[in-house]
Amino acid sequence: MVERRLVCLAGFVLVWGAAIFGKLITLQVVDHQNYVRKARARQEQMVEIRAPRGVILDRMGHRLAMSVPTESVLVDPLKLPNLEVDADLLARELHLDRAELLERIQSAHDHHRGYLWVKRGITPQEADDLRNLKLDWIHLDGGSQRHYPNGMLLAHALGGVDFEEKGNAGIEKALDSDLRGAPGKADILRDVRGRGVDELVSTEAHAGAAITLTIDERLQFVAEREIAAAVEQHGAASGSVVVMNPYDGQILALASYPTYDPNQPPGDENDVAARSNHAVGVPFEPGSVFKVITLSAALETTKLKPDTPINCHGGVITLFGRTIHDSHGGNGWLPMDMVLAHSSNVGAIEIGLQVGREAMYDYVRRFGFGQKTGLPLPGESRGRLRPLTKWGSTSLASISMGQEVSVTTLQLARAAAVIANGGLLVKPRIILKEGEQTLPVEAPVRAIRADTAITMRQMMEGVVLVGTGKEARLQGYTTGGKTGSAQIYDYATRRYSHNTYNGSFMGMAPLTNPAVVVVVTLNGTHGTAGFGGAAAAPVFKAVATEALRILEVPKDLPDNQPPPKLVAKNQLLDDVSLADLGSGQPNILEDRDDEDASAQAPTPAANHAAAQPSEAGTVPNFKGMTLRAVLTEAWARGIVVQPDGSGVARVQNPAPGSALHQGERIRVQFTK
Amino acid sequence: MATLPAFFRRTETPAGAEAPAVRLAAVPAERDPYLLRNLPHDDVIFWGKKIDNSHLVRQTDPRGGRPCWNVIATAGVILALLLGVLAPSVANRVAGYQLEALRVEAQNLADERRTLELQEAQLLSPARLQQLAQKQNLATPTPNQVSRLETKGESKVAMVKK
Repeated sequence: MVERRLVCLAGFVLVWGAAIFGKLITLQVVDHQNYVRKARARQEQMVEIRAPRGVILDRMGHRLAMSVPTESVLVDPLKLPNLEVDADLLARELHLDRAELLERIQSAHDHHRGYLWVKRGITPQEADDLRNLKLDWIHLDGGSQRHYPNGMLLAHALGGVDFEEKGNAGIEKALDSDLRGAPGKADILRDVRGRGVDELVSTEAHAGAAITLTIDERLQFVAEREIAAAVEQHGAASGSVVVMNPYDGQILALASYPTYDPNQPPGDENDVAARSNHAVGVPFEPGSVFKVITLSAALETTKLKPDTPINCHGGVITLFGRTIHDSHGGNGWLPMDMVLAHSSNVGAIEIGLQVGREAMYDYVRRFGFGQKTGLPLPGESRGRLRPLTKWGSTSLASISMGQEVSVTTLQLARAAAVIANGGLLVKPRIILKEGEQTLPVEAPVRAIRADTAITMRQMMEGVVLVGTGKEARLQGYTTGGKTGSAQIYDYATRRYSHNTYNGSFMGMAPLTNPAVVVVVTLNGTHGTAGFGGAAAAPVFKAVATEALRILEVPKDLPDNQPPPKLVAKNQLLDDVSLADLGSGQPNILEDRDDEDASAQAPTPAANHAAAQPSEAGTVPNFKGMTLRAVLTEAWARGIVVQPDGSGVARVQNPAPGSALHQGERIRVQFTK
Repeated sequence: MATLPAFFRRTETPAGAEAPAVRLAAVPAERDPYLLRNLPHDDVIFWGKKIDNSHLVRQTDPRGGRPCWNVIATAGVILALLLGVLAPSVANRVAGYQLEALRVEAQNLADERRTLELQEAQLLSPARLQQLAQKQNLATPTPNQVSRLETKGESKVAMVKK
């Protein structure tokens, strides 16, 4: 009896054990994969490892653009208990307009949409408030948001990103692949309470590279501040400033106005217009600043020299049946340097005619016009330079004075750098480093001879000292530049406007060893106050002064220099003097950027007769000479004079006959 | 087993008399119909017996120590093996918790750092500094007016020349 019971018990236990074993086999072997999959679905979670978008820095390491983690609010309109109450709640917590939010929710609900982004990039406080509500229909989605801590500063160059942080303009777009980086993936094992137990990284995250620009934040701020003030003051439509290191092409400031806040999404049409980068993407006819290229070509391809007399034909010239009026009262003979200083259009045309079409086209190309600079900014314009085969009969004359060609402010800066650095065409750079890697500098290409560049520098100094660019004269630094006041061609009427101008100034300082090139352009200025010498030159002065201070460039002139005064007959006229003196007919070659100095043009013979001969290496005697004669003589000898006062030269320092050291300046005091 | 009848019988027994364990004779065939039938083992009687073992002395089994130590050693080895096998797993799990917590903390700190960097950049923006400077009636120095007292780039102190 007992044995039978034991046998039964043993059998039962055996069957029970077999059942358990069978179940174990089923769990562990047969359905192993299935249960593993189910377990992993519960315990493991594949999460994305964020790769923050790279930061954009200025040359000093100041942050210009950066991404910070943020959260966005998402709701399911189909699961909202009460649309009106919920909209009211969300609007209060997220500081949104209730009516607008309700309309959006209602619309999404009516269209049976299962999600609706209520607000992106909420503050941490808002996120905490929403979490505390503990409502299951409110979802918080973690993400990243791009911030531009300086607001509008450098907005055009930086560009912007879309809601997915993908670059859509400027450097953000051009270097999007470098900035974006690559997010990683990780498999996180969680316990029953949702705590992370282990993490298996399947893909490493690679953060976006930090981009260091050549821009100086402080200088950029000054450039934007000054151009904005100038545009508002002169009623211009737009303006731009480029500050560049002439030797390596580093762009220190790139300002464009009107501007916008990249932290805000694009708005109306005005906002879209404000997003145009006028410094890089909007070409314009440069006007008289282009005479620098004309005269540079003349110095290299003709026998013309700074003191070579140029016949300005009394301000009128007829070419191929078209009479071209000089804008001012008319000049007789002017030395070539005075043609530049006084911005004589007819004189520039005369010089251009001597250069010739082929040489002129060649030199315009050598200075980088008609081609992109290669700056990594989307939408850069190459300007407009028609091929030689499409030049008309008056194209040479037009281009000689800066018409029939369009350029960008950046191209002008590049051309000015050729003069500043001794004749080399550099490639502008705005990216200094990608990550920790400094980008190499491309070797410059020689555009003009070094002596030509130096001569042009001296001639451009005359523009600032005695010409149309007096407003650009810097305290403590030798300055050179050229003004431009180009009429704007109206395509509707096919005539040049008589009242709106592109006022511009391109200059450099200090002339003995230029540290910066600054180009200022004001588009659509009105009236005489909108000429380059009146509107753009003061902006150059402010920006260049700040640039030289920031770069700690030593002064090469004593402080407190009195402004140069010209003898009575040589008193400068403003660009305003370029009034309508011609026939009143539209004249495409008319550039109102000159001044009346024809009557005072000394002949070269007179100049040389007035100058006292002196031995080489010694200071000449300027006593008794007029300012113009002194300057002509000084330039002919390659020495720099610092004039003071008006009338005729009475006192000079160093004294005549003394040894003249290289780079030394001669101060000459003029009295009546 | 002490049954109820045995209990009554023992209580009726005079004190000091120890009743021997006897098996009662079988009940006659003629029984009282109202008499309850015997319960199993009703005829077994237990009684207490005092045993004086105060003189017993505990003796160490000279051959019993080895198995004991063997058991202890075996248990120790098994425990050590178990610990050796399980400890890494436990340590790994604990480390996993700590690692995950540290990762989360590191991520939060990195996020917080970026937020602070943004705030710093906003506070140091040129536009804001200009506003502050204007409130303090500060003026921009002229070129070469500022003299650095140390090497450029390392200088924290500068002097403005009048």
